[in-house]
Amino acid sequence: MKKMIRLIGMIGVAALIMTHVSVGAVDYPTKPITLINPMPPGGTLDVQARAYASVAEKYLGQPVIVVNKPGATGMVGGLAGAQAPPDGYTLTVGSVNFTNAIEWEIANGRKPPFTRHDFIAIGSFTMSPTLLIVPFDSLYKTLADFVKDAKSKPGQLVFCSGGLYGMSHLPIEIFAKAAGLKFRHVPYQGGGPCLTAVVGKHVDFAMQYPPTSLPLARGNKLRVLAVVGAKRLKSIPDIPTVKELGIDAEYYGWVGIMAPKNTPMPIVQKLRDITKKVAEDKSFIDMIEKPGDEVYFLNGDELAKWMEKESRIIAAIDAELAKEAPKK
Amino acid sequence: MDVLNNLLNGFHTALSLKNIYLCFIGCVWGTMVGVLPGIGPLAGITLLIPATFGLDPTGAIIMLAGIYYGAMYGGSTTSILMNIPGESASVVTCIDGYQMTLKGRGGAALFISAWGSWVGGTLSIMGLMLLAPSLANFATKFGPPEMFSILLIAFILLGSLGTGSFFKTMPMVLLGLLVSTVGMDPLTGAFRFTHGVIKLFDGIGLIPVAMGALGIGEILKTTEESLVRVIHKIRLRELLPTREELRASWGPIFRGSGIGFVIGLLPGSAHVLSSFISYIVEKKAAKRPEQFGTGRIEGVAGPETANNAASGSAMIPFLGLGIPTGPAPAVMMVALMIHGIRPGPLFISEQPKIFWGLVASMYVGNIILIILNLPLVSLFVSLLRVPFRILFPLILLICLVGTYSINSSTFELIILLIFGVFGYVFRKLDYDIAPFLLALIIGPMIEMAFRQSLMRSGGSFSIFWESPISMILLVLSGLLFFWNIYRALRPRKASCERALKGS
Repeated sequence: MKKMIRLIGMIGVAALIMTHVSVGAVDYPTKPITLINPMPPGGTLDVQARAYASVAEKYLGQPVIVVNKPGATGMVGGLAGAQAPPDGYTLTVGSVNFTNAIEWEIANGRKPPFTRHDFIAIGSFTMSPTLLIVPFDSLYKTLADFVKDAKSKPGQLVFCSGGLYGMSHLPIEIFAKAAGLKFRHVPYQGGGPCLTAVVGKHVDFAMQYPPTSLPLARGNKLRVLAVVGAKRLKSIPDIPTVKELGIDAEYYGWVGIMAPKNTPMPIVQKLRDITKKVAEDKSFIDMIEKPGDEVYFLNGDELAKWMEKESRIIAAIDAELAKEAPKK
Repeated sequence: MDVLNNLLNGFHTALSLKNIYLCFIGCVWGTMVGVLPGIGPLAGITLLIPATFGLDPTGAIIMLAGIYYGAMYGGSTTSILMNIPGESASVVTCIDGYQMTLKGRGGAALFISAWGSWVGGTLSIMGLMLLAPSLANFATKFGPPEMFSILLIAFILLGSLGTGSFFKTMPMVLLGLLVSTVGMDPLTGAFRFTHGVIKLFDGIGLIPVAMGALGIGEILKTTEESLVRVIHKIRLRELLPTREELRASWGPIFRGSGIGFVIGLLPGSAHVLSSFISYIVEKKAAKRPEQFGTGRIEGVAGPETANNAASGSAMIPFLGLGIPTGPAPAVMMVALMIHGIRPGPLFISEQPKIFWGLVASMYVGNIILIILNLPLVSLFVSLLRVPFRILFPLILLICLVGTYSINSSTFELIILLIFGVFGYVFRKLDYDIAPFLLALIIGPMIEMAFRQSLMRSGGSFSIFWESPISMILLVLSGLLFFWNIYRALRPRKASCERALKGS
């Protein structure tokens, strides 16, 4: 209750300050801002977007309303966001899902409904590496065990993902390519069902994200073998990265904010400043880090650069996958 | 008496003024979300997540859980009164519930559905309280082969769902399966019947189809029949179930509780399955199954109890193991995580205050809900006194707004209207809509489970009988199949004999 009063107080004070500051600078925003989330309600991504919205409100002085427009791995909402008037009042939640969906369309010789060039990157606030997980009583105790066994039986180890060509499938393909391994894939619908399959030993391994995997690891239901990222995680300092074993693979789930291209530069600048403030805000950091994620801020230019790099990696993997995929 | 002690502590938490208040807010919001078609428990919970940022974790989860089970109470209202499923778990309630309304027994149907929800909800919390840790592991035993075998049983039961003959049910089942294949194949990424339309990539949504085929179809049909239907005054006696109706409901309520509890544990869209299986079980158990579909109270009592029981047990994998088996528990889990509580296998032992507080609050919430819902029955029923020329546009509006509110998609409005016409045409031709809708739900699930199993085994069918659970379920489905054939043949023989005797 105390917290709530404090929050309301902060919003009030911030709103007062904002009304004064904004007189000299851009006259934006003067009405509520819509934040399109192209993913269905309830996932980690949705909650992080809502946390962003609730904190950004106090810096913007206007309500930020999250609207879920899910469909076609984010393409329905992404298209709506790309086609919105470039006035700063309709923003879009960007994530690695965009890159996944767009590159998959391109790899199959189709024209994606929009690309990252239809957006201006405002900034991103998380970047979680995937974790390689196996059932707790699996024979594999270390990443070396796992790689050794997988090498001896190519195409026999089975993994699950939360969806085809999505953020828990592609990291495995990237990893497999880097390590020269072959696996068999069973797609599930969503990360929850896939985790159930790992715990219930219906599959041999999977790659999932820290907030959902770590509690299960702590309760001895599954084992984390490696972090598929550049450095170890603060919360599990004993778990090595795949790079330490010489496998050059990394894949991150990131969440950020995008504006339609042609949005006036002063507005973009203001949104970028505010996103930075949000990423440094204590209450926002709490909301992201308590579930086991880490706030990792990239400003607009860094995010645009990252997306370019990510697109290249994913495009290369998708091109190979598209060759194997059944033709229509 | 560890459980009793814990529960006592739980009540200590749940009965604080603040938590009762939060539980009440959750229940009221849940009832509203359930009553309004379109907005389901998932959207209801998601909308309120930001409101929990300022609360302590126990209060937050108490409120969100209240929305979840509260929505199951409200879901039956529009199904019974207007033939529009309030949420997907109430699709089967439309069949007999709406017929009861046409007969002037809508009040009784609502009453029984609230009562059944209370019994089912409460029994299921007891199960949650006593068995959560051991049953959570049970849920993970259900992989694709086990799911396939259980869905096979559901599929065999589907044939006996309709009120008409087998030959009028099967075409609707096949149509449902056909519509369910539209969209991206989740296992290979190939597009089926999408014709390059992005909005069809995810397939055709259940809610717009159900609201169109049932709700709008009904409006079209009734408009044609008579705009001057007699609106009779409703007396209090008509709101209350008769002694006979009460007696007929006991069996379905207890069976529904059991069915709902077990099915709620399974991964996937358990609510829908639970109400539908309960309906068919009641129909099979009935002395006069042919009366189902004409307004039997058993067809309301069973399913409405089952979906409440399922909402209780669906919390078990999430609380006991930290694995949400459906979208709504997933959102609740994320809400807890925002507060720094990470549900996992150790959740119950490490966070007894939250777990037992929640369990106790669910008892409280169920009592709040029944107190809230029974007086509402008379209010809702009085809606039927609104003249039809006003009520029909209103229903149409509810359908449109409800559909739009799910994904803010105008495309789904078109789907709604197309299936409205579809529902009208097939109703005129005397086909049942329910088998169509259930095939639409079960089709993709059974296809997924079947193909996932084969992908897992590398193409070998032995995966289906290697697991003991799957084996038992397969044998059961075989027995059921032959029993169905036997039942189908026997009455014909009997009627032949009667005909012979008569001659």
